[in-house]
Amino acid sequence: MGAREAFSGATAICGLGMTELGKVYGRTAADFAADAVLRALADAGLEKRELDGLLLNAGIGQGIDLSLAQTLGLGELSVLTQMNAYGSTAGQMVQYAAFAVHHGLARHVACVFADAPLVEGVRAGQAYGGARARRPGLGSILPSLGFAGPIPFYAMHAQRHMDVYGTTQDQLGAIAVGSRAWAQKNPQAQLRGPLSLADYHAAPWVVAPFHVLDCCLVSNGAICVIVSRGERARDLAQPPVYILGVGQAHQLQWDDAAPSLAQRSSRTAFAMAGCAPAEIDQCQIYDCYTFTVLTTLEDYGFCKRGEGGPFVASGALGPEGALPTNSGGGMLSSFYMWGMTPISEAVIQARGAGGERQLRRNARIAVSGNGGIFNHHSTLVLSPHERS
Amino acid sequence: MDPSDRAAPYFAAAERGVLALQRCEACGAQTFPLRARCPRCGSTRLGWSESSGRGRVFAHGRLERAALPELAGRLPLTLLLVDLDEGPRIPARLATGETGPLRAGDAVALGFEPAADGTPLPVFRRAPG
Repeated sequence: MGAREAFSGATAICGLGMTELGKVYGRTAADFAADAVLRALADAGLEKRELDGLLLNAGIGQGIDLSLAQTLGLGELSVLTQMNAYGSTAGQMVQYAAFAVHHGLARHVACVFADAPLVEGVRAGQAYGGARARRPGLGSILPSLGFAGPIPFYAMHAQRHMDVYGTTQDQLGAIAVGSRAWAQKNPQAQLRGPLSLADYHAAPWVVAPFHVLDCCLVSNGAICVIVSRGERARDLAQPPVYILGVGQAHQLQWDDAAPSLAQRSSRTAFAMAGCAPAEIDQCQIYDCYTFTVLTTLEDYGFCKRGEGGPFVASGALGPEGALPTNSGGGMLSSFYMWGMTPISEAVIQARGAGGERQLRRNARIAVSGNGGIFNHHSTLVLSPHERS
Repeated sequence: MDPSDRAAPYFAAAERGVLALQRCEACGAQTFPLRARCPRCGSTRLGWSESSGRGRVFAHGRLERAALPELAGRLPLTLLLVDLDEGPRIPARLATGETGPLRAGDAVALGFEPAADGTPLPVFRRAPG
């Protein structure tokens, strides 16, 4: 058996801790993070002293660091580090945690994301953008041109897709509308009001082709998952969520001629999981923007490059569709916990704990993370079943 | 060296209407934005060269909401990412007065327009070809 086959299914997510999420004020990111770790331990049925690994990822506010170990009184850790590759980090934390427990470096590793950029009375975009420092030198021309944060770059990549492949505004809108329909089934979602395609078109522009509803929410809170070896996870309180495949890819900038980073990342993960794209039952995709969903689905091989528009508008991503996607409402409608948003929903789905939104088919769940301006990508294939 | 000092030759060239790119004296690679080390060969011997100013639109978007108050009265503005003939991809804007449809792949040519504080900003006009 090769190294990849031996790893596939050998480790599992055994605990999930989610704090209150969204417009939750008066708490620091560090407090949310400690809360999420303790909730994940309780969820797994683990004692705090059994936790010997901690990986953490601070959001835009940089509100958590290694002192979280002190806050939690974790005195005897075998693994501890802070990581950041933006939106792909959460998936990568799960990967490194799985490597650590698989190779015996630690028994139970907690992976936590926490952020608290929202301030009461300040608009979300301002609160989030306000945390960004102006860059010196040549970087100063960006804000003067009108570039602020990642939105213009993603919007322009979406416009390029429209120019090259004929993707339409309605097709981007279908993703926003579909996410909201899912969020209406999720009690933790920030936005649960109905959303029609007409509402989408009527929403204010930010950088066309992006309306405000093409862009994810901003949220306060924290999410933690705990990774253990499969045989240990089986003795704990929750049904294990096995890690069948993992992948990452990184690139300097978007290159049409080369295989995209999402393609490379997913190929690695799917090969490790021993499955083809057609064998994936559902997706939890990092939806920082509507367009990110469209292009990730293309790159993962669920449709051809350029055909993502018709694919997402076909109803494929809905409850009765061929590839139910972002069943929790994603970051567009539910909450923005970077890569922990799709991971937490995948864990809930794999456990069969999705309530009104639970999907019947959950044997192979593809989970994506995306960071930078298409610079960093991570993929997980999660399952309630050990690899057969 | 302060990274903003490293940009001084760029801004001096921009005042003359020229887009300066860093050029590696070891391997010839031209880069943007500014680097302390050539991303291709690793050399620290970086000089300057002049871009032809010709390129193609990689992508464009219509800015409808501005973070800076000085831009609020000028909206909408067309933001560009332009792939220069020399290789680098640079952020820019469509020049004032340029109207009509724009598509990824369109040929464009460089100019400069001053920001509110007088800093020359790279802008592009449609070009033949």
